[in-house]
Amino acid sequence: MTGLFSHRRIFVSGAGNGIGLACVRRFIDAGASVACFDRDAEALDRLGTHFEKGKLSLSHGDVTSSDDVRRAMAKGADALGGLDGVVNAAGIDLLRNLEDTSDEEWRGIFAVNLDGPMRVCRAALPYLRTAGGGTIVNISSGAGLMPLKHRTAYSASKAGLQMFSKALAMEAADFGVRVNAICPGAVETGLLRSSIDAAPDPQQAYEAVRARYALARIAEPDEIAAAVLWLSSPESSYVTGVALAVDGGRTFH
Amino acid sequence: MEKPAGRFEGKIVMITGAGSGIGAGCASRFLSEGARVALIDREEEGLAQLTSAFPAEQVHAVAADCTDASAIAAFHRSATERFGPIDILVNNVGQSARERAGEFHRSDEDVWRFVLEVSLITAMRFSRLVAPKMRERGGRILNMSSDAAFAGDAGLVDYATAKMGIIGFTRSLARELAPFGVTVNAVAPGAIRTRAHDRVPAAVIDRIRQQTPAGFVGEPADVAAAICFLASDEARFITGQTLLIDGGRWMI
Repeated sequence: MTGLFSHRRIFVSGAGNGIGLACVRRFIDAGASVACFDRDAEALDRLGTHFEKGKLSLSHGDVTSSDDVRRAMAKGADALGGLDGVVNAAGIDLLRNLEDTSDEEWRGIFAVNLDGPMRVCRAALPYLRTAGGGTIVNISSGAGLMPLKHRTAYSASKAGLQMFSKALAMEAADFGVRVNAICPGAVETGLLRSSIDAAPDPQQAYEAVRARYALARIAEPDEIAAAVLWLSSPESSYVTGVALAVDGGRTFH
Repeated sequence: MEKPAGRFEGKIVMITGAGSGIGAGCASRFLSEGARVALIDREEEGLAQLTSAFPAEQVHAVAADCTDASAIAAFHRSATERFGPIDILVNNVGQSARERAGEFHRSDEDVWRFVLEVSLITAMRFSRLVAPKMRERGGRILNMSSDAAFAGDAGLVDYATAKMGIIGFTRSLARELAPFGVTVNAVAPGAIRTRAHDRVPAAVIDRIRQQTPAGFVGEPADVAAAICFLASDEARFITGQTLLIDGGRWMI
């Protein structure tokens, strides 16, 4: 895919770890420049040492803050000379039965997983319009297509993100912006690791997760990033408003 | 735009209904990325065009009817004898019999049988031919559904049934073949500029374009790009899915 993204400028939220980080790596390898946004300052520092400076813009901040998002978007667009694409990879999980879920926890999940991408998309659209079009890829979840037990807030927030993506796809098509969602299953990330470690029997929890998927394994972040790049590339120029499951066969969407 | 070069070097791809439209678009794309292809179509002319445009050693083309079980078995045999086992099967052949379409209460059982045979059963037959080897060495099966599966167009009951059938077939076969490193996916194109599309009245095309957020009718190359993505190593964790390629017309 080398060169497929030459001169393309992509904003990635949650760029410091997991799927976001895998996307940054792939975009850079394919010739893009990337504006990275994350609340994890250490992870951003690591990005800065791993990649060529001219290809990166780093912004520290939180997707739950409209000001942080706006500032990061302006900084990224300024550093890269504009923006052609957005990837919303920032997300958090919550494994909790409903009766034990507090209002704060519920709102916290939605603030990151649904309000976050909304803020990022809203801030990015003027730049994408200026560029004459572009792409948005939102990382939803298989749990937004087919529910997971003890994840009411998480599943609802990810389902919401899919419909947000589709509704925005209608509106953004008018100025040449395609909006799609990707629905990963379990992915080898810090997020999955902490959910598994929190279980009473982590080994059994891991096996239970693995067994959900027809391919009988957990994905590498890079396998999700591959689909993100395809949906961000001209190869998918007639694809908009889809929710593509990259889940080793669980949801069969 | 630079295309990924040589992505399918060394791969053997079988494509049904490859003589025109989306099938021909897929064939050109796989060929230009280094694959050797086995092509079948009822019409010789389209196959001849593809054969003349690419080196002879890359193409194995047979003019035969995809609904003829013994003819396709012979095609599969000759293709694998020449190239080796199939790595990627693209079940593209299908037809809506739109010219014979009509209201369901007056519809003809022979037309149903024809549409189900050409648009659904052929995918099952070809898949069964390649499945034994794919179970030994992995592979990819790509099935052609249609947005007609979701649209509920009046007068196209048989075609919608066949194309929704493709989705059930895709999901079930995906689960069955997953343990063997075989992924099975479908694409569901919307309005794509093909020969069949050219026979649709202009007023209908205008209405479809108005319903399509992207605002244009797709090209066979748009579908070929998705098929090639799903057939590539890049998509090894995607299975059992149906990807709409319709400029956002349905979003389901």
